[in-house]
Amino acid sequence: MGLAPSTTLEQPKPAKEPRHKMSKLERRRMWGDWAFIAPQLLIFVFLTIVPLVIAVPILFTDKSQFNDPSINQVGWSNFTALFTDPSVQADYFPAFRRTIVFVALNYTTVYIFGLGLALLMYEVGFRGGFFTVVYLPLMISGLAVGYIAVMMFAQETGTGNFVLQELGIVKEPLNIYSAAGTTIILPLMVGWRYAGYNMAIFLSGLLSIPEETIESSVVDGANYFQRLFRIYFPQMWPSFILATTMCLIGSFAVFDELIAMGATYVNPNAKFLSILFFTYGFQIERLAMGMTLAVETFFPLVLLGVALQRLQRRVQL
Amino acid sequence: MAVESATATQLQRKPLFSMSRRKLALRIFATSVMVVYTIVTIFPFYALFVRSFVATKDASELHLWIPEAREVPMEAEVGNLSVFYQLDLRDLKRALGIPEDEYLMARMTLGEVAEQYNIPEQEIRDFFKGFYTYNGWMTLLREELQGTTFWAALLRTVLITGFSLVLLTVLSIFTGYGLAGLRRRDQMAVYNLYLLQMVIPVMLIILPQYQLFQYIYRLVPDYAQQGSFVRGALQLLALILINIKGTALTTMIFVAAIGTIPKDLEESAMLDGASRLQYVRYILLPLLKVPIVSMIVIQLPLFYNQFLEPYVYLDPSNSTLLPFIQSTSGQFSTNFQVIYAGVFASLVPLIIIYLLFRRFFVEGVMAGAIKG
Repeated sequence: MGLAPSTTLEQPKPAKEPRHKMSKLERRRMWGDWAFIAPQLLIFVFLTIVPLVIAVPILFTDKSQFNDPSINQVGWSNFTALFTDPSVQADYFPAFRRTIVFVALNYTTVYIFGLGLALLMYEVGFRGGFFTVVYLPLMISGLAVGYIAVMMFAQETGTGNFVLQELGIVKEPLNIYSAAGTTIILPLMVGWRYAGYNMAIFLSGLLSIPEETIESSVVDGANYFQRLFRIYFPQMWPSFILATTMCLIGSFAVFDELIAMGATYVNPNAKFLSILFFTYGFQIERLAMGMTLAVETFFPLVLLGVALQRLQRRVQL
Repeated sequence: MAVESATATQLQRKPLFSMSRRKLALRIFATSVMVVYTIVTIFPFYALFVRSFVATKDASELHLWIPEAREVPMEAEVGNLSVFYQLDLRDLKRALGIPEDEYLMARMTLGEVAEQYNIPEQEIRDFFKGFYTYNGWMTLLREELQGTTFWAALLRTVLITGFSLVLLTVLSIFTGYGLAGLRRRDQMAVYNLYLLQMVIPVMLIILPQYQLFQYIYRLVPDYAQQGSFVRGALQLLALILINIKGTALTTMIFVAAIGTIPKDLEESAMLDGASRLQYVRYILLPLLKVPIVSMIVIQLPLFYNQFLEPYVYLDPSNSTLLPFIQSTSGQFSTNFQVIYAGVFASLVPLIIIYLLFRRFFVEGVMAGAIKG
């Protein structure tokens, strides 16, 4: 949240800006540019930066809902609740653990699906038809992915369960509502959904590798794994960093799938952090607490994201 | 094993037997992976389609095709049918010629109905023909749910998606043009501000963002009135504003694309007396087809499939498609057939568009990925 004030200040006042004296023409040019920049920038600042700013005073109150008539100042107690308040701890830590496990597994699927398929495509040549198939799940909503997971892997009615049993792959049906079921199936489904996106990121990284480096490694007799780790991957850093950033931010924000899997009623195993913030804010009247927890969770993440972005830009240059 | 990447395109044309054994092995491996992956990807859609025709009570066995419709037994109780299968009793009375004001007891079976009102059982059987099979779709497409219908929700989704795409394109081109070249510090600062969007999770800002809209909308007199036109319009407007605020990706795409267009073009347009707006409209716009397509194919599914924001901002009676589908699961929590029909119906429009324009999707996504 500390980012917010500094970034809003960064918005320069054109009149004060120039270090060297601008010519009249340059100044006119700049005002013209700002006429084009302004419309979208106003909306952007209003909806992304201003909310971060107005959130700050709320964090120090006991505001319980959006139209709370009586609001008291409570100092830093929302921030310390995570370490002192058992009711918050009982909600937060299980959700935190589930989220972290999910992020880790989901990050693995980025490589299994995204990188794996990208390498396959790269080695046998780009196939538009197959790309269409891999990208298809991105057309469906997170909500639909969640309901498809339920349809496939509900313990007694899951179509996927029946098929896996017929094929002899599993003995006992999986259960999407169980802890193990949610932990394993959700990252696979999310990985499947974003496979096309991640494949595109890695494939564009692979396609940007100069042919000569590959050819010379072949001439020198490198085997495939040497080629992967010595030639491909070192030249694909921007792709790795981009995929990492997107996966981190995306997996912490996973929400629609969880709602479809019954996170707000039947399935406590799908209560991730995003669900926690949502219920605190909109359902159980602990708005200020929910906002504070969100800030405490995401602030390090935003810093990490900014660092990754800088790294990526440096690598690209 | 090594050369095939370089010669992949030539490989396809060569006859099979001239390939080395290694290349052949690679191609067999690759083809089988693709086939398996394709089957695994397509199957859930197919299964969802089939399941939308399978009554929940028949769902405990595998159906690979729409099962033969079972008849509704004469022992079925009217109350159960209306609770678990959303049977509309008014429809039943009308179809069977029972007076509207007649009260059907919940425990009454269909057989008893036939007896009491002297209706031939065949007539009841005809009324219930295909009841279990089409129950999900009938309920979804005909029922009114919390003050809105499937079709109205779909219409709202299409409207929001359409307006958002057009406005976002225009605004993002403006931003890209204003920032093009990134030569000055103010341009760089704005660019970095947009990049920040990529790392700010929606969950972090959704609560204060909602609060912000509440502060402002409370000042509008009619907003507090449930179901008023102003309230509905303002809620939809909030969603459109959120959609068009610009993202890291849209900014990067257009800044990069406009940056590659030679400066001379603009100068000569100016010399001919064009204003900057005219330059954007008549010269820049036709040159930006590729980045525009790229942006649209990436944003379209995001807008169409938006769930969190509509779920938060819209009244249930004003909802878009996905919150509507979600509310079916609250309402008909025992009738998964309706939910699956709803989920399938929500996929169809976008998937048709995707398949029709798949070339643009593939090219646009690859172009976007290279920029990103």
